[in-house]
Amino acid sequence: MSRGPRQRAVPYAFLAPAIILFTLVVLLPIGYTVYLSLHRTRVTGLGLGRGARTEVFAGLATYRDALASPEFWRGALRVLGYGAILVPTMLGLALLFALLLDLPKSRFARFNRIAIFLPYAVPGVVASVLWGFLYLPALTPLPVPADMLGPGLLLFAVLNIGLWGGVGFNMVVILTALRAIPAEVYESARLDGCSERQIALRIKTPLITPALVMAGVFTVIATLQVYTEPTTLAPLTNSLPSTWTPLMKVYTDAFVRGDIHSAAAASIVIAVVTLALSVLFLRLVAGRAFAGEDL
Amino acid sequence: MRGALRPILALAAGASLLAGCTTDSGGDEGGSAGPVELSFWTWATNIEQVVDKWNSSHPDVRVTVSRQSQGDELVTKVLTAAKGGNAPDLFQAEYQALPTFVSNDAVADLSDFAGGAKEKFADGVWAQVTLGTDAVYAIPQDSGPMMLYYRTDLFQQFGLTVPKTWDEFAATARALRAKTTSNFLTTFSSNDPGWFAGLAQQAGGRWWGVAGETWTVGINDAATRRVADFWGGLVAEGVVDDQPMYTPEWNKSLGDGTLLAWPSAIWAPGVLESVAAQTKGKWAMVPMPQWSAGENRTGNWGGSSTAVSANSRNAKAAAEFAIWLNTDPVATEALVTAGALYPAARDAQSGPALAKPPAFMAEQTDFYPQAKQIADTAVGWTWGPNVNVAYQAYKDTFGKAITDRAPFSDAVAVMHRTTLEDMRKNGFKVEG
Amino acid sequence: MTTRLPVLVLFIGAAYCLLPVAWVVIAATKSSSELFGTSTFVPGTALLSNIVELAGYRDGLFWRWAGNTAIYAGAGAAASAALSGLTGYALAKFRFPGRTAIFYVLLAGVLVPGVVLAVPQYLLLARIGLADSYAAVLLPSVVSPFGVYLARIYAAAAVPDPVLEVARTDGAGEWRIFAAVALPMMVPGLVTVFLFQFVAIWNNFLLPYIMLGDDRKFPLTVGLVTMLKQGNAQPALYNLVITGALLSVLPLIALFLSLQRYWRIDLMAGAVKG
Repeated sequence: MSRGPRQRAVPYAFLAPAIILFTLVVLLPIGYTVYLSLHRTRVTGLGLGRGARTEVFAGLATYRDALASPEFWRGALRVLGYGAILVPTMLGLALLFALLLDLPKSRFARFNRIAIFLPYAVPGVVASVLWGFLYLPALTPLPVPADMLGPGLLLFAVLNIGLWGGVGFNMVVILTALRAIPAEVYESARLDGCSERQIALRIKTPLITPALVMAGVFTVIATLQVYTEPTTLAPLTNSLPSTWTPLMKVYTDAFVRGDIHSAAAASIVIAVVTLALSVLFLRLVAGRAFAGEDL
Repeated sequence: MRGALRPILALAAGASLLAGCTTDSGGDEGGSAGPVELSFWTWATNIEQVVDKWNSSHPDVRVTVSRQSQGDELVTKVLTAAKGGNAPDLFQAEYQALPTFVSNDAVADLSDFAGGAKEKFADGVWAQVTLGTDAVYAIPQDSGPMMLYYRTDLFQQFGLTVPKTWDEFAATARALRAKTTSNFLTTFSSNDPGWFAGLAQQAGGRWWGVAGETWTVGINDAATRRVADFWGGLVAEGVVDDQPMYTPEWNKSLGDGTLLAWPSAIWAPGVLESVAAQTKGKWAMVPMPQWSAGENRTGNWGGSSTAVSANSRNAKAAAEFAIWLNTDPVATEALVTAGALYPAARDAQSGPALAKPPAFMAEQTDFYPQAKQIADTAVGWTWGPNVNVAYQAYKDTFGKAITDRAPFSDAVAVMHRTTLEDMRKNGFKVEG
Repeated sequence: MTTRLPVLVLFIGAAYCLLPVAWVVIAATKSSSELFGTSTFVPGTALLSNIVELAGYRDGLFWRWAGNTAIYAGAGAAASAALSGLTGYALAKFRFPGRTAIFYVLLAGVLVPGVVLAVPQYLLLARIGLADSYAAVLLPSVVSPFGVYLARIYAAAAVPDPVLEVARTDGAGEWRIFAAVALPMMVPGLVTVFLFQFVAIWNNFLLPYIMLGDDRKFPLTVGLVTMLKQGNAQPALYNLVITGALLSVLPLIALFLSLQRYWRIDLMAGAVKG
């Protein structure tokens, strides 16, 4: 029952549309970004008039400049701290809500599920504007500290928006995995007299580890790429410089200062670091996540 | 195998279908058949109404407004589009952005079409669009001379005098705070570099200059430091607020009287009407406080021109529209009444539309005559090729200075250094 | 007593998530001066006039934006689901060299932030003449690494190999097998991919902002943000933005409610696995 050459080509043919589109939309732009990061603009004379600006090869100089800036590292550290707080909180809350919803006698389950999932329907920019209103002391009904957007609490202000927006989605991912567990698995545990809490912690949670890991990876990636929320909040406060996170610096360089080369160099650095961290994360937990999956 | 090829064929067909969906965005449908289509990227208030007037009286040239960005962001959008060969025919260029556009070769030289327009504008204004050369890079649209607006009712309530010098301003601020801790005279905004630039202009600052083929950067000059430390001192004393402008909270503060005054520009009544409509009729306008008694200077906050893209295929038609928009009486009247702009064209400044005061400040019947006098005292300066960098540095450094309670002149020094280094990095010959 | 605690915790979570939504609903009833004048939870009187003002903004541009969003999200998500289904099926059901590598490369696409790719994507698309078009927004939206991941997992779980073998021995071509046998089995999973991508495109701001110059092609996100940023001489139209935000969230909520059973693909997967 050997597969002839025609059969062997079939998967490649099926994959071709995705690969072509992916190349056009992701790989080529990445290549162009790398090209940009190796160049810079030089100006002749006063820089006014035709042909005053040219793009010249700059080697790694742009990378040196990008990495030499202390704000870049401060921003990077800030993002790592942000992620270190957000990822466990987000996953923990999502897991908690999912487990509670999966309890046999969970009342108002449908209402709660929909309510918690609702923030997923709100775009990041709009969510930041809404929370911006809710953070400003003069306008908010909540018992928000007066300097919520001040230097001390700003991180939590941004964290909160990220948490609010993402916990519902992650909850649904985990809930989906929970529902996939056949009921017989813990019927025997119930017959043995285990409480629901023990079942939740000892049986359900370990069984859904793959879903937790995948949610974890995507959350890690999303937090490393945070920039929408702080960028939208920046005009409301004195404490948010344009380099607060590395991606904000990329955005500022590219769209406000018009320095696409710096932006490109910083972007490559960020992408490489994100890749490294994700691979590391997966390596650590891949065994448990994909046991039994034929990858 | 044929079957397996289907997905590839489907994708190719889909892509070519989508490519056919490209719609007009740049006016290359022109030529012999149909009207010339011009795209116009702008953010001016209600400018569609003015453009409609053109479209109805000029059926052979149709202008479409696209309002997708403003200020600094529009600069970058236009530059990116120009790099992609996709720039609009016309766009709104603030005066401070023109050198950046010229430096990136994004604007067309209109000197062939703009001969007659020069006399319609004051020399100072016209210099902003020629940048000291023989070329004409844009047509001036409006200007934003700065003046002080204050709440007459609250000044009376607290027994305050209207300041004529900055020293008096500081005294008024302190007097107010002595009487109440829930109001401020005004706020210092770390988010509005254009505002600070206008104040620095008034004090005699010169942030950029040209000497031959070399640029000079002077953000750190004595005049700017003086302005910075004046405001820094007031903020540190706590007699002036430190919240940014144009936020929901600021809107509320203007509306409920937490802030009593606003050093602003001539277009302020429109803004106040939008954000604090309930305070209608309670504001008055006076010249900006001066650094020495008896002086008569002010700066500019904002002010734009209309530029034509360097790679527009219909430069002549676009230039005609730009000139019409900013000099024709029909257009300038609409710019004033619908757009709440103060037109740069001299005729328009003494035109009928400016005979009545703005509706929001109807009691000040001599609003526009007085504004014109103030406008005539407005001093400008040369803008450099990296204004966006300087402006972003302002936001970052002054925000930090406020948060760290550091002297504002430190922020100015950092702003100066950042701007200078950015120019050096790009290969400009620059001193400072 | 212990049975009340879980519901209580969930209610607190629900309240936290609903709070800004409730705020938007109330704020949308306020006119500009009421927005900054009255206490937050007191409803205003201007819902109808806000909607009318929004509808009339620049001759009904808001509805055009809504229509554009529906096109981008609907067509984009449908194409994405189809493409993901095809790709996931191929990755799950065939063994061939490069299989793992291709999968990981496609997944790695999610690592690159949109803001990094935005300008290069724009310049590349401008070079082939597609900038400032519907295609410029649709093409990047069709690529969905997460969709490929989901589709692959689902294809592996829901499409049994024996069924495919039977079809092959019956002499059916591979494409026919996919379209007639595997695809119907994958539908619930693909609906999830569709929903996920629909929301992602609906809420996307940066991609259309970069790609589009003509504001009549804007989706709702970009349109609403432009109403926020109007320069110094014209401050943000907060009341319109808030009303617009409310109106733009409603269709998504309706979509969730009507298609929520498709989020429970678990049951099918469970039945198949079990």
